[in-house]
Amino acid sequence: MSNSLIRVNNLKKSFGGLKAVDIDDLNFKSNELTSIIGPNGAGKTTLFDLISGFQEEDNGEIFYKDKNITKSQPYKIARLGMVRTFQLTKVFDRMTVLENLMFAGSSISNDSLLQSIMKLSKQKKYEELLQEEAINVMKDLNIEQMSSSYARELSGGQKKLLELGRSIIKKPDVLLLDEPLAGVNPKLAEDLLEIIQNLSNQGITILMVEHNIEAVMKISERVVVLAEGALIADGAPQEVRENQKVIEAYLGTGDE
Amino acid sequence: MKLSIKWLVTILITIFSIYLVFALNDEGPLRILFNLLTFAGIYGLAAIGLNVHFGLTGLLNFGHASFMGVGAYVTLLLIPHAAGREGEITESGLPFLLAVFIGVIAASLFGLLLGLPAIRLRGDYLAIVTIAAAEIFRLLVRDLESITGGVYGIINFSDSLQKYRPIFLENFVSNYELNPSQIWVGLLSWISILFVLLILRRLTNSPWGRALRAVREDEDAVRALGKNAVWLKLQSFMLGAGIAGLAGVFLAFNYGSLQTTTFVPLLTFYVWAIMILGGVGSLSGPIFGSIIFWVIISETDKLASLIFENANGQQLAGVRFVLVGLLIMILMIFRPSGLLGKKEELLLNVK
Repeated sequence: MSNSLIRVNNLKKSFGGLKAVDIDDLNFKSNELTSIIGPNGAGKTTLFDLISGFQEEDNGEIFYKDKNITKSQPYKIARLGMVRTFQLTKVFDRMTVLENLMFAGSSISNDSLLQSIMKLSKQKKYEELLQEEAINVMKDLNIEQMSSSYARELSGGQKKLLELGRSIIKKPDVLLLDEPLAGVNPKLAEDLLEIIQNLSNQGITILMVEHNIEAVMKISERVVVLAEGALIADGAPQEVRENQKVIEAYLGTGDE
Repeated sequence: MKLSIKWLVTILITIFSIYLVFALNDEGPLRILFNLLTFAGIYGLAAIGLNVHFGLTGLLNFGHASFMGVGAYVTLLLIPHAAGREGEITESGLPFLLAVFIGVIAASLFGLLLGLPAIRLRGDYLAIVTIAAAEIFRLLVRDLESITGGVYGIINFSDSLQKYRPIFLENFVSNYELNPSQIWVGLLSWISILFVLLILRRLTNSPWGRALRAVREDEDAVRALGKNAVWLKLQSFMLGAGIAGLAGVFLAFNYGSLQTTTFVPLLTFYVWAIMILGGVGSLSGPIFGSIIFWVIISETDKLASLIFENANGQQLAGVRFVLVGLLIMILMIFRPSGLLGKKEELLLNVK
């Protein structure tokens, strides 16, 4: 039990009559890079929403580091070290790239009204360190030349990078990436994959929802396949690729 | 460069507005000017509070009048006053500054009370709830006659403030036939504006201000990054409500009597117009917005009487608001971010 970082028990969520997620038992181990794939409407994003607290489950339990996080607020889950990104990129449009990153990296006490009114030297020092950190993240992601641009001026791909940067500045234990490669040109997709691979090598546990099968097969250590909310396959990329159910449900048999 | 042109234009328009007061009034232009500057100070202060809500945090608050009302009523009921139909006199009271302090805190707490259930609502829904809450407040105050004086209001409270009026003011105004108590209220409201702006400038450039802007941009992303968006919004709501509460206190002292009808939704709309005119999200925008707005409000009837020679008073009063609406429309077409707003920072869009 203790070697699973995230544990999902008997998780159910439906919208009206539609079963979005119906999973009996699913575990994610520490330091693994897992991809979650499945046809559109398979419940991948809903699963992310449930794990990260953005939606409330109808039934079931979710554990993180053996702590029950079922029905926890999203910000509380994030504070435990599990940070997610969104399918439709959510950057802070009318703030600069630097501000986006500094906000993400800032601690709760640094953000407090009291500290901000008193303007302590402690806060000033913290902000200087934070800025350095943010600059380092920008360098790693190759967006440092955009530092003082408003986030809304970035291209779609750059926004993806910024969102990723915002998620990693606090050095999370777990990253939930919702379609990190969607709408990104092939060159940038390659860069992104390399970045994700590096993050994984640094010891961050990564769950990734992604439609780009080639990319998934290339970097994942484990692939989980959902269809109509249910788990239909789970294993190493090669096993999953050869799984008959997966081929039928997702890759298509040519009947359609 | 662009910034300085924006400021130059704003200051020129403001000076021109003040000039208009002199040009359109043969009798006692100075008196009219100081009257409207006092209103401008009070409403400007309220608009600065609203800017914390909307400009900084993106909260669509349409119940600003109630925050002003809470500040005014709580303060006045704590100092010597007369209230109700019989003019029942309360002679004892708290020290003036303490009463104002409690009034401001009460307005803040009213913000918290209203915010706790409502702040999770998005955009328009928050607007609906706040406007309804403000009306509930006003009707409650009207009907709780034994405490608030109801429709008869509160009177005879001005001494608590006017006894602190410095002597030099009297010497200054006696030469110009001005009303010294009003000048005193106006002066204090402008000093408060300065003070509040200094604090807010510090806050908007702080990590706290950055967090509020992030909430304005995307709450979900804020949550996903481990920040309590609801609490941040509540803080903003309370701060803006407190500033509005202070403005409400000045408004009461400017009128010299307190009526429930002061806090109708129109008051909220005036404050909104001032904030939009000055530039949403611009700290000092409301100052200029407020002066220009009050010149428009007080001088358009004279302007209208120049245009429509045979119109009577009632017709002119109607024309006044047509002109105000027209001016705001023109502004929205040519400068949707207001006089001092940043184009990149805000267009009037709410998620």
